[in-house]
Amino acid sequence: MKGISQRSGDIHLLLQGNEAIARGALEAGVVFCAGYPGNPSSEIIETLAEAARDLPIYVEWSVNEKVAVEAATAASFTGCRAIVVMKQNGINVALDFLTNLTLSGTRAGLVLVTCDDPSGISSTNEEDARIFARIIDAPLLEPTTPQEALVMTTWAFELSEKIENIVMIRSVSRLSHTRTRVLINELPSFDPRPHFDTGLSFHTFPVVAKHKMRHEKLDLARVLFEKSSFNHYEGAVRPELLIVSSGCAWTYVTEAVDILELSDRVGTLKLGTTWPLPKGFLKKHLAKCDRVLFVEDVDPFLEDNVKSFGADICMEIGPKEYMGKASGHTPSCGEQTPASILRVLGRLFSVDWQDHAFMDKVSPIVKDIAPPREFGLCPGCPHRGSYYAIKTALAWDDRDGFVSGDIGCYTMGIWPTGFNQVKSVHAMGSGLGLASGYGKLDRFGFHQPVVTVCGDSTFFHAAIPALINAKFNGADVLLLILDNSATAMTGFQPHPGTGKTAMGTKTDPVDMEALCRSLKVDVEVADPYDMLSTAKIIYRNMQQKGPRVLILRRKCALVEGRERGFPYKMRVDQDLCLGEECGCDRYCLRIFRCPGLVWDKHAQKAKIDGVICVGCGICSDICPQRAILREERE
Amino acid sequence: MVSRVLRGRLLLDHIGPTYTEVLKRQMESSASGAQDRLINKVIDKGLCVACGACVGLCPYFHYFDGKVLAMARCSRDTGRCVEICPLIDRGDIALDKMTSDVMNTPEIGPYKKIIMACSLDKEINEKAQYGGVVSSLITYALGKDIIRSAILTDAGDGYAPAGTVARSRSDVIGCAGSRYTASAGLEALNMAIKTGEQKLGIVGLPCQMEALTRMRHMGSDGENRANSIVLKIGLFCTWALDYRSLFADLRNRGLREPILKCDIPPPPAGVFQICTRDGWREFPLNDIRPFIKKGCSLCQDMTAEWSDISVGAIEGIDEWNTVVLRTDLGLRLMEQATEDGVVKVDDLPKKNLMHLAEASFNKKERGRLTRGEIR
Repeated sequence: MKGISQRSGDIHLLLQGNEAIARGALEAGVVFCAGYPGNPSSEIIETLAEAARDLPIYVEWSVNEKVAVEAATAASFTGCRAIVVMKQNGINVALDFLTNLTLSGTRAGLVLVTCDDPSGISSTNEEDARIFARIIDAPLLEPTTPQEALVMTTWAFELSEKIENIVMIRSVSRLSHTRTRVLINELPSFDPRPHFDTGLSFHTFPVVAKHKMRHEKLDLARVLFEKSSFNHYEGAVRPELLIVSSGCAWTYVTEAVDILELSDRVGTLKLGTTWPLPKGFLKKHLAKCDRVLFVEDVDPFLEDNVKSFGADICMEIGPKEYMGKASGHTPSCGEQTPASILRVLGRLFSVDWQDHAFMDKVSPIVKDIAPPREFGLCPGCPHRGSYYAIKTALAWDDRDGFVSGDIGCYTMGIWPTGFNQVKSVHAMGSGLGLASGYGKLDRFGFHQPVVTVCGDSTFFHAAIPALINAKFNGADVLLLILDNSATAMTGFQPHPGTGKTAMGTKTDPVDMEALCRSLKVDVEVADPYDMLSTAKIIYRNMQQKGPRVLILRRKCALVEGRERGFPYKMRVDQDLCLGEECGCDRYCLRIFRCPGLVWDKHAQKAKIDGVICVGCGICSDICPQRAILREERE
Repeated sequence: MVSRVLRGRLLLDHIGPTYTEVLKRQMESSASGAQDRLINKVIDKGLCVACGACVGLCPYFHYFDGKVLAMARCSRDTGRCVEICPLIDRGDIALDKMTSDVMNTPEIGPYKKIIMACSLDKEINEKAQYGGVVSSLITYALGKDIIRSAILTDAGDGYAPAGTVARSRSDVIGCAGSRYTASAGLEALNMAIKTGEQKLGIVGLPCQMEALTRMRHMGSDGENRANSIVLKIGLFCTWALDYRSLFADLRNRGLREPILKCDIPPPPAGVFQICTRDGWREFPLNDIRPFIKKGCSLCQDMTAEWSDISVGAIEGIDEWNTVVLRTDLGLRLMEQATEDGVVKVDDLPKKNLMHLAEASFNKKERGRLTRGEIR
């Protein structure tokens, strides 16, 4: 983002939510920034890394989220403001450290940003990370707009220093990726002078005393929250319905209230500081009305906490009708949308908000416009070759083998694009952890071979302990590292194997072969584009015992396309192509499914979509007629 | 207590299938195509004998390391795979066994002449099984341009034996000797036809000879395919072994590959002999029987009745082969090879002919019985 590191303020920039969070951190004088990539959080560290070209700050992609928080905390302990960024899944990884950190406390401002992915649009789950603020007793802030995200982030550092503890900010996909006009402020001077005061110590003992102190810090935050401008009320003095909301969901609420023209019947309570609850502020507004509706993304976090508080003060404010996820008024999972809120409010106020005449006219027209689409690996993706080789080897082996999957683009191995080979996916590194378990079941008569896959970045992130476990316990494990030399799914961030850091500094790449060999684990390397040879290597490895590693190495097709381009121009010789006839049955389209191959309805044969095809050439090897031709690009 | 547990179970039953079960049902596709029939009736029942007839016609079947495998699902209603498979009931297709001027016995099938023969080629005799007649005839047919190439079974290069195309004497000698394991030799035939090869000779087991006869009636191109084959030499076969399970077992018994040669001497020996770099080893036949291909028990053809020439061992006469000449081509080839001093022939002793007929008849009976049991 151009201008993100400019020192002067009082001007407007068009900023994405994530860029606004980055700018907010810079305006707070942050000097240490760490994170692990993951949608929708990645742009924060990327923006800060860009700013590091102009500003004296340090930015890193850490090997995983736990290490990221630890590294950032070191900066805090030495008096430097630090920010650590991750997606919701990352909080799970970092949690062990976080639960202890909030007992020991921090020094310079330390802010943890979690960007949640309601509906799991590019995640394995739609976990609501706010619950962890309660678990670790950390104050939680929820911005609604990029502007507020900027201001809130800056303030979070002050709050952190005031209570000497880490502060959490929760964004969601829509906020992180929304771009609006944002007023920026002047940057401070960056002069951190780190020093660890050896008169201090940071640990959790005595545990109970530290736990008590942690609660007191939270109480102090609560006092500050009572007066916070991040919380406000809008609407009638005595509304018929009080809507309590936070984050992006609040913007949907205001939109729905506007559309339904309910602004003089409904009151909207927007909470920016959602843990601990600003009880005094809340009590004042709860007293306004007997019906309360909660609108928030994913879990009933506000809903449960406010209801619990409402029970505490019910003698003062009287009984309420609480509506939300528990009552079924709002959906109990998935992302909120303006429509979902229009639906609830429409029902509660008996307003028919849908233009049925328009819908009747439009719906038959748009019905067939959008074709059904499935998740798909990119044309030229080396994972397609890898999965084809895996599928071939598993079929050859014929012992009902399967793939234990992991997190990355190759998670799509659960779908037809990866030939449905992957039978389980959970957390990063879990594919190998599971495989090390399967690999010990032979004593009970389990003989299905298990192949596990993980990406290069995932290998460094969390697979190494599982590999050591397999080695230590002598598990029969075949790990395929799908090394595409990038953290491709999240946008090509560098990782320990790429030889480059977040700030673009050259670094000695971690040699994963050497790492495996140091464990005395057999390592081989194969080319996923050479599918048949790779299948034979996989098959041979499947017949062996103990832990083995096979690295399937090919650069991500998107990176290759940008750097060098692909060598071939592909063409289908339709005279040779069998189409639907016996001997083919549209094998390239039905089974191989590269999006670059399409059906020529007129000729009833396959053809290449010249716009989509990148020219990797591997489909030529799967055509039973050799009708897909590789021609050298001029 | 018991009733409470029961009530609990009833309650659970009332809830219906678990989420996992529902998801699994949604994922299972309905299977009704041609390939599905082959998979359901033959492969999934473990009846495939790995003749290889379906392999190489399309990408949906592979032969790998001793097994024929369905690699992906084809959606067609009709398919050559199911038409050519010798394990699928023929239905209406009447296969044309040669009729004119032949003896047609219920035991040995149609033939013009039964003799015994042996190769006069020292090199072949050294490598080949018994009389070496098959290797000699193939080499001879190649030399005389009766055939341009021959589909044989190789010794397996780190994997189970597989079909291969032989074009020269050294190719043929490299393939000499019996394997006793199913090895999908017809895959090599399909691949050779794909590359446009003509005047092919083939050596195969009875099931493969039957598949070749079905080939003529298969799909749109069956006739053309069948016409590219000019010489079919069938091998006597009692059953074939499943390579993978057999060698997994033999490896456990300390056998080290590669296998140089194997033999099952005629009764009453009752042993399976294997030669490796460590020398010859013998295993009781009864230890080997569990690895017989299940589908072989359905087979009613011991002497490869659909071939031009059928060749097998002779009880008690190690250096010679029994040779059944079934067609004019087979008869002529044998006569020429004898005239040219490639093989020598003699009358098959009556006692041996009777043994052969009896063994062949027994196999037919067993096959008929088992077919009734399995189907």
